[in-house]
Amino acid sequence: MSTLFDLKIVVEKIKGFCDLPMEVGDYFTVRGGKIEIPEGKHMCLWAMQSLMPVLPAKQREISEENDWIPHTKRFICPDPNGGVVFRIDRINPKTGKPVADKDKIPPRIQVNSEVCTGCRACETVCAFVHNQTFNGEKSRIKVEKNEIEGKDNPFVCRQCGDAPCIKACPVEALSRDPITNAILVNDDKCIGCYKCAEACPFDAITFNENDVALICDLCEGDIECVKRCPTDALKFDNKGGQS
Amino acid sequence: MNYGYCNQALRINLSDHTIKKETLDSTFLKDYLGGRGLNARRLYEEVPPEVDPISKENKMFIGVGPLTGTLFPGAARVNFTAKSPQTNILGDSNTGGFLGPEIKFAGFDQIILEGKAEQLSYIFIKDGEAEIRSADHLKQLDTFKTQQKLKEEIGDNRVQIAAIGPAAENGVKFSGIFCNMVRAAARTGMGLVLASKNIKAIVVRGTMDLGAKEPDKFKKMIDDMDEEIKNHSEYETRTRLGTTQLVSSLNELGCLATRHFQTGYFEEADQVSGEYLEENYKQKEKGCFACTIPCSRFFEIKEGKYKGLKSEGPEFEGLAGFSSRVGLSDIENALYGVDLCNRYGLDVITTSECIAFTMELYEKDILSSEEVDGLKPNFGNSEAVFKLIEKIKNREGFGDILADGVVSAAEKIGRDTKKFAMHVKGLEIFQADPRGIKGYGLGVAVATRGGDHLRSEPWFEFSEDAKEGKRRFGYPESAFRLEYKGKGRVVKFYEERCVLADCLEACKNTVVNMEIISFKEAAKLLNTLTEYEFTAEEIQKSAERIMNVERAYIVREGIRREDDTLPDRFLNEPLPEECGESAGSIVEIEPMLNEYYEARNWDMETGVPNIEKLEELGLHEIAEEFKNRDIIKIN
Repeated sequence: MSTLFDLKIVVEKIKGFCDLPMEVGDYFTVRGGKIEIPEGKHMCLWAMQSLMPVLPAKQREISEENDWIPHTKRFICPDPNGGVVFRIDRINPKTGKPVADKDKIPPRIQVNSEVCTGCRACETVCAFVHNQTFNGEKSRIKVEKNEIEGKDNPFVCRQCGDAPCIKACPVEALSRDPITNAILVNDDKCIGCYKCAEACPFDAITFNENDVALICDLCEGDIECVKRCPTDALKFDNKGGQS
Repeated sequence: MNYGYCNQALRINLSDHTIKKETLDSTFLKDYLGGRGLNARRLYEEVPPEVDPISKENKMFIGVGPLTGTLFPGAARVNFTAKSPQTNILGDSNTGGFLGPEIKFAGFDQIILEGKAEQLSYIFIKDGEAEIRSADHLKQLDTFKTQQKLKEEIGDNRVQIAAIGPAAENGVKFSGIFCNMVRAAARTGMGLVLASKNIKAIVVRGTMDLGAKEPDKFKKMIDDMDEEIKNHSEYETRTRLGTTQLVSSLNELGCLATRHFQTGYFEEADQVSGEYLEENYKQKEKGCFACTIPCSRFFEIKEGKYKGLKSEGPEFEGLAGFSSRVGLSDIENALYGVDLCNRYGLDVITTSECIAFTMELYEKDILSSEEVDGLKPNFGNSEAVFKLIEKIKNREGFGDILADGVVSAAEKIGRDTKKFAMHVKGLEIFQADPRGIKGYGLGVAVATRGGDHLRSEPWFEFSEDAKEGKRRFGYPESAFRLEYKGKGRVVKFYEERCVLADCLEACKNTVVNMEIISFKEAAKLLNTLTEYEFTAEEIQKSAERIMNVERAYIVREGIRREDDTLPDRFLNEPLPEECGESAGSIVEIEPMLNEYYEARNWDMETGVPNIEKLEELGLHEIAEEFKNRDIIKIN
């Protein structure tokens, strides 16, 4: 979609109080570069200034499924006593009808480095279930450790909707599993050119000793590293993306 | 693919730089299981009694076990074994972290170091190959900097390193070997053995495969075990506090080593407890390789005098060593003391004993301030503690007297101070008072590496389950810490469990204290993991064999019944009134020893293993040697 969405910004509920006053159901619309407020109505300046930066982004189509912008539609006025909740609806400019909400962000392995113990149980179990070896070099998840600072960071594929790794692969060795959303590597096709790893924004791709890309395949849904993580530093869900 | 075992040892001669690989046959592996067992057997064979521990004739054995590097929770450990320069008997120390698994992934069950390098060196081992490199640039660097520098130099953040600090280079007898910054094989002076061979560090990188013979079955067993661990009554406390829980729990029982064992109750324990550490300084939990019950922690001091002090740790021994044992009630001082020891490469137990010993002598007017380089080492004087650590590390002034350990210090000081030296067989004892935990007392008295609790961990005496006591060990009393009956059998049982843990190279928290696996389950695990067949009976017998080989080793070095004892204080001075239920208690060592020797079939008078026992365990050549050396008299 190359044209811009129209937007309708509606007061959905008021958690605190608003003595401006704004009322539930009040709204304004955005069409192209114009803001329109229904005749006889007004709009809160402070609420509007907090909404403003996000409006141009909400006007545009974003194909990246994991991006938060398409999924985030509620914003709140900045006055801590106010709690006026605004909902942004996208409108198809041709039909004038609301655009159906995108599905929720698909679940992915979410990493909480703050509680990662750095034990590498995730690596060990990943290598074992995929390659019957305990050798973490073959794992699709890798833990980067800094023992001086006590920092432990697991790196693993996030299944980007707009997966740059798939685009970067010159031999079509990467594809997406239509059911789990995982990026699948065709070991026979992979030529070990490292283009996918260079394209990955999250440093989540490594290579085995034969230079074949190692990318998380989500264990066909029954994710072993998540199950074995002793502190829930790894979780498989989409809670982080809900509005 | 290797299954559980790599069936291979690496022998490095540092004098002539020959590096050989030796195949380990199935009999050796089955009879000695792994890690500690393999090392003990080699030490017995290859290091005869005449050897000076810091000469090039001493050898160091570094062993890992069949479970090391697998999914078994906490099978992360590695044993360092040599003749100890601190005790002149069995030197053996074990650490967790990540080094053990890396050795397995590099293709070895055991590494043997012999001879002496010409100049300060480090050993680099990668995937079945090894080389000796100069470590000139690492001279006198502390353990942290040594590890950091080696990682940078090699340019691989996944290398695992065992390093010594300046204390070892300066000849301190209780210097240890440090991995993952703070994980220490600190007991019995293994750091000094490395230093005496001119080895500053061992760097290992392994990327080789290691599998299980029956992967699905093995995985299922591990999954079940993980579940059992998660549902265990101790799971929550162990992950929250780990060993540091012992500060408050032992204090409540009246047996926390306080002011050099003058009492078992520290009034200010609340300020230095694991709970206090958790609440105020803990950043997160830390764990060893593939561990599902992470009991370690990372702490940081965010303000005040020690702002910016952060590291993994401490464990109970360090925390209590630099608080209750030396009378420090500010936990930040204790954390700083432990940190100094870690960086210099010192054993926290022995260091804290040497300092606490000095403090008691000073307070009793046996030592003058002048003799202690003008310090005023009263209990609770943190500056004196830090200065003494520094002096020990540098072997300067009074530190030089302490740097050979507490027995040697007492000998040098004279004045009947030996009775204040809290050691067994030259190894300083832990931070719990044996008078309140008599089974532990016996365990410490008979431990094959000298005064140490980790050779037996007879936790059963805390259970208070009289029925189980009667069933398992023949005496209801065996389930109660202040009783002595049955403890000989309890200690024998848990000694063998500890051997099992140290040979599989798995954590004692799970294998011994939580009793997650029995000999039977160990056999099942090894049968799905390795190419060999084990029965529970064989494994138990191997554990007993290993105990007897270690005993035989120290017997050959001259150890007899009279050495299997505790310092006078624990045998004769009852715990004082403030120690609650433990008040008035002493250790009845003799009846416990009798029962223990009987359970072991060792000679009641000498403590030497009887010929029948040695023969039963297949140790014919040891029986022969004992006859030849006149250790066992033939009627």
